[in-house]
Amino acid sequence: MTAPLPTPELTQDAVDPAPDRSGTRPGRATWRAFRKLPLGVASLVVLALLVVVTVAAPLLAPYPASFGPDVLRPPGAAYPFGTDSLGRDVMSQIVWGTQQSVLVAVAASAIAIVAGTLVAVLGAYVPRVDAVVSMVVDLTLSLPVLPLMILVAALAGPSTTTIILVVAAFSWPEVTRLVRSQALSVVKLPYVDAARLMTRRHAWIIGRHIVPAVTPVIVVSVVVTASRAVLSAAGLAFLGLGDPTTWSWGRILYEAQTSGAMGSAWWLTLFPSLAILLLVLSATLVSISYDDARKPRGHGR
Amino acid sequence: MSIALFVARRLGRGLVTILFAVTVTFLLLRLLPGDPALAVASPNTTDEAREALLVQYGLDRPLIVQYVLYLGQLLQGDLGTSFTQSVPVVDVLLERLPWTLLLTVTSLVLTVVIGIPLGVLAAAHEHRFLDRFVQVVGVTGQSLFVPSIGIVLLLVFGLALGWFPIGGATGDNVYGAAWYGSVVAHLVLPAVSLTLIQLGSYVLTMRGTLIDALAADHVTLARANGLPYRRILWKHALRNALLPATTLIGLQLGFVVGGAVLTETVFAYPGIGRGIYEAVTQLDFPVLQGAFLLLAVTVVVVNMLTDIAYGFLDPRVKAS
Repeated sequence: MTAPLPTPELTQDAVDPAPDRSGTRPGRATWRAFRKLPLGVASLVVLALLVVVTVAAPLLAPYPASFGPDVLRPPGAAYPFGTDSLGRDVMSQIVWGTQQSVLVAVAASAIAIVAGTLVAVLGAYVPRVDAVVSMVVDLTLSLPVLPLMILVAALAGPSTTTIILVVAAFSWPEVTRLVRSQALSVVKLPYVDAARLMTRRHAWIIGRHIVPAVTPVIVVSVVVTASRAVLSAAGLAFLGLGDPTTWSWGRILYEAQTSGAMGSAWWLTLFPSLAILLLVLSATLVSISYDDARKPRGHGR
Repeated sequence: MSIALFVARRLGRGLVTILFAVTVTFLLLRLLPGDPALAVASPNTTDEAREALLVQYGLDRPLIVQYVLYLGQLLQGDLGTSFTQSVPVVDVLLERLPWTLLLTVTSLVLTVVIGIPLGVLAAAHEHRFLDRFVQVVGVTGQSLFVPSIGIVLLLVFGLALGWFPIGGATGDNVYGAAWYGSVVAHLVLPAVSLTLIQLGSYVLTMRGTLIDALAADHVTLARANGLPYRRILWKHALRNALLPATTLIGLQLGFVVGGAVLTETVFAYPGIGRGIYEAVTQLDFPVLQGAFLLLAVTVVVVNMLTDIAYGFLDPRVKAS
């Protein structure tokens, strides 16, 4: 986990009013600009491929066996990614690990995004709530999160649900931080005041005017949060707190380390490491490209 | 705002953060199923014995009373007793803390020393090859999984080339001047991996703030006055860009400590992180909770110190 991913730069001109259904849609223009960025498109393709692997895992490789006759074989024709110290096929582990890692990332970031956005938008709309929200966010973000996740995961017992909830529970403050700063500037805009004059239904104002205006930030934080979730989950699994009943990229590394085969069998650590790097790097590049595509002027990167 | 008030405010905020960490830990311990105090009781424990255990641990009292008692214990430096080693958790952790501090501080210094020139280089060549190169390396660095870097360094420089020892913090039976040499040799690989994971975001932030600083009015004026570019870059722009970068170091500290836990695990480095890994395998909850609290306090204190240093470095804080 660790290194913070880039914070999308948001300027006042990024604040779009509510989408105009009759005129040009900002989403379409962004997509047209995005298509011209080769790195962004390539990364999107990689992400799509990983999703395909996730869905088609049962077709691509048999479920990793509990042991096999060929122990610690280097990559070759029979075993493209080699075998581990119990003779299990590393490629099956990677394929099924993709499923687990993507599942955890999607579930954890979905929870974190919904909770984080809700809290941020409510805070921006109701100043009294905002004081509490911003304090909790600041406090949580200044604590060492991984040791806290470790404590919670150890207390709750390792399972996929635990991992998802733990990662989500400590990811929403980052989402709130990103969305909140944008929502605060939107709330001050005249069209929100106008909406307040029209109706007293606050839920409608929030849903119709504020959430659409912060959608770009939400899109960026989906990607950032998901890739962080992958790193956090892999970190927990590497420390032995992963779900012992399913394969994940972190668990392959953990087993390589505990079995003592890490020093002699480079393929045990190379392939899961590459898988993690591929997913996180392409997610990061997609968010950077999306940010670039949204900025009409200048090609600032 | 006077500097005294500024310092007082930062101290107050630090205390609130620590209290928050303590409260979160307390609630987690009481509300999650793996309660360490109840774990002592087995299914065969009689009701009376169970009752006695509850009284012994103070678990029969209302939650708020338990909370106050917990705070009292912590204030006395009592973090409980390790399940597996039967010694006070504080002793276990304080023995390990110096190694974690050595590792983290070394990597922070390396990050700043390598990061500033790289950021300046990128900003000075904005949009040209060097800048692109630094950006690609920076973004890739941010996406790396900490244990992966550690394992690669370990396999290449530790096992294949044999340049550095592959685990631990000191060699066996080394004394005197050789001891220091051995400490440094053992520190190199973990410190480099911990540096690599934070370098990316530091360089990218440095580059961004420096590009902004180069667009400032006083830089334009200096250019119009015909000052050499090198001097403008390093003296006029860099000084303003350094301050946000200093804050970033403080903000990242929580992440870096998390990275240290994983790095120490890979290299069997005897710091708090390796202690956490060992406590996880043995489900030693008092050590896990103590380690989190100690790391939280360390992060808060270092953060407070960088903030206060910032106050002294930036004349605007005193003026406003």
